[in-house]
Amino acid sequence: MTRPARREPQEAARRDRRFHGEGPRQTRGLWRIATGPLIWGGHFLVCYWIGASWCAHAGPGAGLGPASWGVAAATLAALVALGFAFRALRRVRGLSLTDDDLVYEADDPEERRRFLAHVATLLCVVSFVAILYTALPAVMLETCR
Amino acid sequence: MTEPQAPALPQAERAHPECQDDPDLRAAQEARLRAAWATPKGWRYLTAVNNTEVGLWYAGSALAFMLFAGALALIMRAQLAVPENDLVGPDFYNQAFTLHGTAMMFLFAVPIFEAVAILILPALLGARELPFPRLSAFGFWCYLIGGVFVCGSILFDAAPDAGWFMYPPLATEQGGIGADIWLLGLSFIEVASIAAAVELIVGVLKCRPPGMRLNLIPLYAWYVLIVGAMILFAFPPLIAGDLLFELERLLDWPFFDPTRGGDPLLWQHLFWIFGHPEVYIIFLPSIALLAMMIPTFAGRPIAGYSWIVLSAMGTGFISFGLWVHHMFTTGLPSLSLGFFAAASEAVAIPTGIQIFVFIATLMLGTVRRSVPMLWSMGALAIFVAGGLTGVMLAIAPFDFQAHDSYFIVAHLHFTLFGGMLFPLVAGIHYYYPLVTGRMLSRRLGVWSFWLCFPGFVICFLPMHLTGMRGMPRRVWTYSEGLGWDTLNLVSSLGAFVFAAGFLVFIWDLIRPKGEADRAPRNPWKGGALEWLQEQPPRSWGVRCVPQVSSRYPLWDDPDFVRDYDAGRFYLPDAEEGRREGLVTSVLDAEPEQVLRIGGPSVLPLGGAAALGGVFIFATFHWWWLTAISGLGALVLILRWVWTGTGEHPEKPSKSIGLGREAALYVSGPKSTGWWAMFITMLGDLTAFLGLFFGLFFFLTVHEAFPPLGLPVPGVVWPMASLGLAAVSWLATWGGRRANAAGRVGAFRALLALALATGLAAAAALAWGPWAAGMDPTAHSWPAIVWALVLWSAAHAGVGAIMQGFCLVASFAGRLTPAYDADIRNTEVFAHFHAFAAIVTAVAFAAFPEVREVAP
Amino acid sequence: MAGRRPGPRSKKAEIEIARGQETRRAGGRPRREPIDGDRKLDRLAPIALILPAAGLVASCDGPQSALVPRARQAVEVAALFEWMAWGAVAIWAAVMLAAILAVLRPAMRGGSRRADRLIIFGGVVFPTVVLAVLLAAGLRLLPDWGDSPARLRVEVGGEQFWWRVAYARDDLAVPVRTANEIHLPAGEPVEFVLSARDVIHSFWIPSLAGKMDMIPGRVNRLLVEDPQPGVYRGVCAEFCGTGHALMAFTVVVHPPESFEAWLAAEARPAAPEALREGPPDAAAEGRRLFLDHGCGACHPVRGLVEAGDVGPDLTHFAARATLGAGLAPISRETVADWLRDPQALKPGARMPGYGALMSEAELETLADWLLELR
Repeated sequence: MTRPARREPQEAARRDRRFHGEGPRQTRGLWRIATGPLIWGGHFLVCYWIGASWCAHAGPGAGLGPASWGVAAATLAALVALGFAFRALRRVRGLSLTDDDLVYEADDPEERRRFLAHVATLLCVVSFVAILYTALPAVMLETCR
Repeated sequence: MTEPQAPALPQAERAHPECQDDPDLRAAQEARLRAAWATPKGWRYLTAVNNTEVGLWYAGSALAFMLFAGALALIMRAQLAVPENDLVGPDFYNQAFTLHGTAMMFLFAVPIFEAVAILILPALLGARELPFPRLSAFGFWCYLIGGVFVCGSILFDAAPDAGWFMYPPLATEQGGIGADIWLLGLSFIEVASIAAAVELIVGVLKCRPPGMRLNLIPLYAWYVLIVGAMILFAFPPLIAGDLLFELERLLDWPFFDPTRGGDPLLWQHLFWIFGHPEVYIIFLPSIALLAMMIPTFAGRPIAGYSWIVLSAMGTGFISFGLWVHHMFTTGLPSLSLGFFAAASEAVAIPTGIQIFVFIATLMLGTVRRSVPMLWSMGALAIFVAGGLTGVMLAIAPFDFQAHDSYFIVAHLHFTLFGGMLFPLVAGIHYYYPLVTGRMLSRRLGVWSFWLCFPGFVICFLPMHLTGMRGMPRRVWTYSEGLGWDTLNLVSSLGAFVFAAGFLVFIWDLIRPKGEADRAPRNPWKGGALEWLQEQPPRSWGVRCVPQVSSRYPLWDDPDFVRDYDAGRFYLPDAEEGRREGLVTSVLDAEPEQVLRIGGPSVLPLGGAAALGGVFIFATFHWWWLTAISGLGALVLILRWVWTGTGEHPEKPSKSIGLGREAALYVSGPKSTGWWAMFITMLGDLTAFLGLFFGLFFFLTVHEAFPPLGLPVPGVVWPMASLGLAAVSWLATWGGRRANAAGRVGAFRALLALALATGLAAAAALAWGPWAAGMDPTAHSWPAIVWALVLWSAAHAGVGAIMQGFCLVASFAGRLTPAYDADIRNTEVFAHFHAFAAIVTAVAFAAFPEVREVAP
Repeated sequence: MAGRRPGPRSKKAEIEIARGQETRRAGGRPRREPIDGDRKLDRLAPIALILPAAGLVASCDGPQSALVPRARQAVEVAALFEWMAWGAVAIWAAVMLAAILAVLRPAMRGGSRRADRLIIFGGVVFPTVVLAVLLAAGLRLLPDWGDSPARLRVEVGGEQFWWRVAYARDDLAVPVRTANEIHLPAGEPVEFVLSARDVIHSFWIPSLAGKMDMIPGRVNRLLVEDPQPGVYRGVCAEFCGTGHALMAFTVVVHPPESFEAWLAAEARPAAPEALREGPPDAAAEGRRLFLDHGCGACHPVRGLVEAGDVGPDLTHFAARATLGAGLAPISRETVADWLRDPQALKPGARMPGYGALMSEAELETLADWLLELR
């Protein structure tokens, strides 16, 4: 694997002049890696809220009825959102996951973007599992209990 | 290394404009650096703010509190060694376990993370210092004062004794000042944690060496970033809870009193929304130490860098969805339990990935044995066991049995020792030479491990069985013949074996060390940036700020150390005799600014002492002293901000070496101050949402909330407040723009308008409930309304102080169109405050309306 | 700090012996296999007190063990625990083996593929599947309040530091009130209705079911199905103040017919011998002391004084196995000691001591009278 020579400082200085500082908006590549977990978090809160408010009003032993539909809809929406996020992030090359993952290939912003996309993709996978787990209680429990 | 070597970099590319080959020049540079970074002597040593000093104090204090809490644990184990023991009575025992938990969690586990991060993060990032050394010092002094206050109370038999999670009504109804000491002391310490979080997040985002893109930063820094963010979102709900709790204790506002519309479960929610992420806040940074050590001893890069980032990030997020698993037995609907059980299982997946990445790294490398590796392996053995019992406890029906029993005691100590203490000791062995220039003894390290590890297992493994046999936690005595006698005796013996081992470790830390212990440079042959450091360590941190292009530059670039020693990278000099650091961009670490960093000052110490006075005097209800202290704190902090920040440099930019220039003054998103304000306000917003959660919580537990028949603030005054808050916000924003456009007169007028309307908005918000005669002691509805009014008014006050500060600064010539950092930071505050004020006003008006439409 | 626990040594020793005896009663009749041959238990609590303390080996499960389950809820969880515990041991051993091999063996050549597989299988696939199965198994065991099969409802209130108990059933006109001891019919489902007035407590009988918190302002429920005859011990599991460690209770699961007899006895007012005003004898003197010293302001004794509510119901006090919520067996000495200075026996107890207000003779008279309350 080759590592390129360090960038010409002059070139970097030229970039600097075009560089106007980065607020939260400019650094969204960084925040974007939270997409998957945020979808999970949203789904989790919605499910909890649907369950808690339905069961608070329907009382113990009531069938889940509309609540299970709500959870199903939320789960579907979350999975679709996750799918879109996953597709948008699918820029990761098929390298080995453990060895040299995306390192030392090229020292440029593109590499950093790939890295962030890679982490974001992996997080989507974990979020996918977590969302399915969250939906499980609504499937398995037929009543509020 | 498997990868082919990169072609050596042509010498010319690295050369500093001044010829770094000249030894006289280098000596002069080093002398100037040494002078600029000199540690103050004599009593002024206490005014030091450099990370090497503050970090050491921090770590030393945390370890001292740990020993204190450990001694309490030994007393408890001695008491429980045999049934019906009368070594101590329940009054002492209850204080002991409360302080043990409190001190271990708040005074050791979280602060030691901050201490270690403050100590080593600059070295990991090739930086001289973190961006706000005085803030670090302020945080440290807050922590020390608060910690001594909380722990000292046991000497006066006045310590809190309701358990470290302080459940009301036991803790609210309790006489004495124990609970107040806990609440106020801890709130004060939380200030320190949030200060450290801000410092560390900005440090990782903005103080990396040029070229260290986000995909190259050391894994420890990733963890620090994630844990810092978790602190920002986890501690504020507890601060909100503390506020409600203290209002109930002090003013009898019934948030947790069921006879007046409150609910004890609200506290449990707020506490555990903090409390569960806190577990991960404690353990992730120590796992991060493993992520730094394992590649070194395996002699290869970590296998799966992005997997580690993923798992840290995933754990961080999911840890916010687990809090109810501490409340499985409170009688919530089974469906809710199911959701939280699911999340509690899900969090095991990223945690497991972490472990397997470590194992894979060890597998791919040839492992050198060392004391840090020994402790790391011990950590792994303990942590995996603790994780597995955690998976069991996440299954709610099992938790019904295990909850609040010794099984939980065993589980939590397995996760904390394996996930935090053992990796920490490994990390201390590993980084000790970096910090002190001396090596810890290999022999003593092995000895202490082989006492601590078996001691730990002997102590805590039997507790699983003790718990399953029905022994509840927090009992100061137990009857003979319940099947617990032998198990408890064994546990107690183990505790003392562990303590002996830990004392060996502590002795190794503090024993006088001679030349034989002197550390060579890069003693572990690591590849990461921190091992650049010269031995013995210099006060300036790094000789120059390196240009980085790989994760393990010492392994990847044979000339790296030579060039570094010759000062051929950035900022090799302190021409103006100032402490300077390089600020770089968030994503790709492009140099943006040379930051003039604050030097020794008595202001952080003074400010912390005054603020500490506010909390301590308030505990004893000495209101005059509280007010005087508060005023003193305000004056000192304003003086600090006025003299210590936003200074106008003598020139707009300076050369940083390698043919590059960087600005000396920046404002807005480029500046560290703006980021610090932004991050602080995220935490502040979370605290507000914590209070707001209270409002919604009451909505769900009451048939109608606000209950019919109770007065409400009406619509007019909240809406008036909303309008005024909006005007204040727009005026601040417009003022900032006017100033930037050079219209200074308009700026001042708008700012004055913003100040006046901001205060008027708070007054209007308060007037609604006041005019309606809402009595906060009558019911939880008026109480939560008044709590939100207090929150809004306090923020309006702080906003007014900031706006006033900007006005004065504008007249004094400190704030000009070119130098506008103050108003830009104020604007950030205004954005967040406007959101909270408007949401509050809408809620006041809407809640009663919605209730009345509902059937 | 030594000696901070109040109370003279001699008394403590008595209590120690007594407590040792008390525990002898416990443990329940082993159903599937005997845990301890010596531990043959009588179904009627007081008789069990006679068993010698020496018979119990410290290493065996006590009367309060979740590992000796004696009702459906506890049996299910114990089985689940067994599965999980062995699974955890196996996983732990596998992970540690992998880690130790990774450390001891030299660098694996071309091992990167295997490392990939290790991370993906060990870190993602295996946990995902195992945890999903475990989660599903756990969800099936969550309590269901849909239609409670229980006819008998036992209302238990946590107090600092004792238990208020009342039995409600459709055929009972008014709930049967008692305290600090719970009797159940074997084989029948029972619903506990749990509440608290002062602080949070937690109701836990490990042998029968998991715990459930008692939270002021809330009412929680706990179902116990198919309890087996035996004597068990329950405790408060949520820290509730100074006396938390000594807040226990005895649970007696009777065969159904003897439960009915017990319930009928418990529903009656206090024993006539204790109530009669009759000639000035010892019993009448005890009754007078009880009334004159205002004991009735806190303790109801049905048939005599029912105004009090803040202390345990004493109507059938002497029929219970213990005093002070599982503290010590009831005897003339322990009762007199308790009356003299409750805090010496149970730090944090709310009852004031009467040692300064009554003579020794009076204390013994009152104790004798209380022992009449069968």
